[in-house]
Parts: sequence; structure tokens; C-alpha cells
Amino acid sequence: METVTSDVVKEPPGSAEAASAGSAPRVYKPEMPLGWWLRQRHYFLYIVREFTALPLALWLLWLLFEIQRASTGPKGYYPPESAAFVVFSVIVLGFALYHSYTFLSLAGVIINIKLLDKPIPSRVIVLSQFAAWFVASVVIAAVLIGFAR
Amino acid sequence: MAEKRITIRTTRFDPDKDKAPRLQSYDIPFADESMVVLDALNHIKAHVDGSLSYRWSCRMGICGSCGMMVNGIPKLTCNAFLRDYWPRSITVEPLSNFPIVRDLVIDMEDFMHKLKSIKPWIIRKQEYPLGAGEHRQTMDQIDEFRQFSECINCMLCYAACPVYGLNNEFLGPAATALARRYNLDSRDQGIKERLPVIADAEGVWECSFVGECSVVCPKGVDPAKAIQQTKLDTTMRFVLPYGNRDE
Repeated sequence: METVTSDVVKEPPGSAEAASAGSAPRVYKPEMPLGWWLRQRHYFLYIVREFTALPLALWLLWLLFEIQRASTGPKGYYPPESAAFVVFSVIVLGFALYHSYTFLSLAGVIINIKLLDKPIPSRVIVLSQFAAWFVASVVIAAVLIGFAR
Repeated sequence: MAEKRITIRTTRFDPDKDKAPRLQSYDIPFADESMVVLDALNHIKAHVDGSLSYRWSCRMGICGSCGMMVNGIPKLTCNAFLRDYWPRSITVEPLSNFPIVRDLVIDMEDFMHKLKSIKPWIIRKQEYPLGAGEHRQTMDQIDEFRQFSECINCMLCYAACPVYGLNNEFLGPAATALARRYNLDSRDQGIKERLPVIADAEGVWECSFVGECSVVCPKGVDPAKAIQQTKLDTTMRFVLPYGNRDE
């Protein structure tokens, strides 16, 4: 035997559109709840990925400001060395690495290149992106260390 | 031995009576391991409550009619087995991000309009007479677009897309995937007719690559891939001197 229970839930966000004479039937238009990005792990990671760009942008703005200050020469130039700033920089580095990792991992989906009329496997494209990232990082590090000496 | 049972909670909404949707629970027999959520809904409609409204047709994952939210995930209910949920209850709701007409039935007008806007058919500048024979294609040419042609317009990707949920003007995953399907078809010459729609601000550029559309697709289509590749293609057409060539 089947049983039925009426289980009224909290009214979801949304609105009912009343029908006017001769128009389409009335429908209920749901709205996205504010916490939609907490409903699924995939959505949460997406928001984290997007959010990482914000502190990264702030840090880069600071870098531009420092470069501008340093343009007048080393005299009177004191870059911030406080523990709080170092911690912030390390956190931003983590965000930058995460953002770069997600961006390069998705490159295999986006880039569609053919070699000898055959598409290059996305795995090869992703690996080549990471290799290029590694090489670019080594070159930049070498230039910076070279200048520092 | 006690009869195996399962609780199905479904959205109920009567536009003539209700201000907002509500959930109603049905406790029904789980008689057969091969039962799917659609079977449960059919059981409720046949034996418990004939007023329950929902769409379905083929019952074999081809027509794309029976897409609903099953425990919060967009699924074809003909392909969601009760055994994967039992003994937990199952909550069946209408596809997210669409207006609700009644119970589990959504208003798909917006999607149909978007689908039509990308002209999902082969466009030729000049049709050959039938006597000239067929437009031949190699297997490689077919492989270019084959996966995008698997779309069954079930709209699960729209229900999974928070970008569409936040902005209904967004062209969306399935329509873009189908636009790409025809743009990649060697027989088609209609890309310039589709560009104003797909390259619009509410077209591919609205997508921020959540990627969930490709995760929920029951046919293995990758709409996120179609959108990102279209972004790259349209950019190349704009940037490269020969990119906007007549095709």
C-alpha cells in the first residue's frame, strides 16, 4: 500500500507570475539562492578558482606601485618586509599556483591543433603548457637572480 | 520478508492554487532492482496520485524529455536507478533555472528560442540540385563534429549552469554546442549567419567555464569544450588578417 505525506518545505526564492487574459499560463520563476555555490563541490571549487584572481590582482597592483617607487633609484627605497606582508605574499603565491594549474589544465579542452591532419591529444597539449610554464619560470628566476647579483 | 520500499519526494505546484512549489512525499514499493526514478513517478501517477505532472516519452535516454533534478543533480530520470539511492529517499524536482509550469514540468520556451537562434541546420550559399548527388564527407570530417551532434536537447546542461541561472540571457551550453556542430561540418557555409549570436556578449563570452554542463551531459557531449573553442575561433577570426575569410 502506498502512503502520501504532505511535506511542505520553506518557500524557495522566486516569484509566481500571474497570467493575464489571453497570455501564457502562470508560471513560477525560481531564483538562484545566494548560497548556490555551496551546494556542490564542483561549484565551490569554481568560485575558489575565480576568487583567487582578486588577491592576485591586488598583489600585482602593489608590485606596480613598488616598481614605480623603485624607478627613482635604490636611495630611499624600502620594500615592505613585515611578517604580515610575507604571509600575504605566500598566500597569494598559493592562489597564483592554483589559478595557473586550473588554467593550464583546461588548455587541453580549449586548444584544438592538428599535426599532419590529426588532432594533437589534449594530454599532450596540457603537458606542453606545463613544460612552457616551467621553462618560463626558470628563465625569469635566472634573470632576477642574475640582476640581484 | 518485508516488502522493500522507497520514499520519493516530488515537487508539487498548481499554478491555480499555489503561491510557490512545495514537496510531497510518496512511500512506494521498490519491487524491482531495474526500477528507475521515472518508473517510480509512473507508479505514483498510476496508483497513488494521478494529478502528478511530468514529461517523459521514450524511456531509453534518447528523447531527452524526462530531465529533472534528482537529489539536486540534473539527470534523465529514465537513467537514474533507484538502487543507487536506496535506502535513502529521493527528491525529484523540476530542472533548475527554468520557470515551473506545473509540478515537474518546466517552461522550455527560452531554450527553444535560443536553439532556433543559432540556426541548427546546414546552411548553403547555393543549394546543389538533387541530381548533383550527395555532399560527401570523409570520416575525419565527420569526427570533427560528431560528438556535438549527439546532443538530445534534454537541457540538463542548462540546469547545471549557474551562469544561465544568474543570467537567462546567456545563450547557454546546448545551443552553443549545436552551433559548433554545424560550424565544424564541412558541408555547412553558415558560420557568418551564426556569429552575431554566438560571438555576442550574451553568447560564448558570458561563459566563465564552470564546466558542470559537460559533467551532467547524459550523452557525453562536451558543451564547455564547444564554448571555449568557439571563444578561441572567434578571437582568431577577429585578430588574424585572414581570419574573417569568406567560407
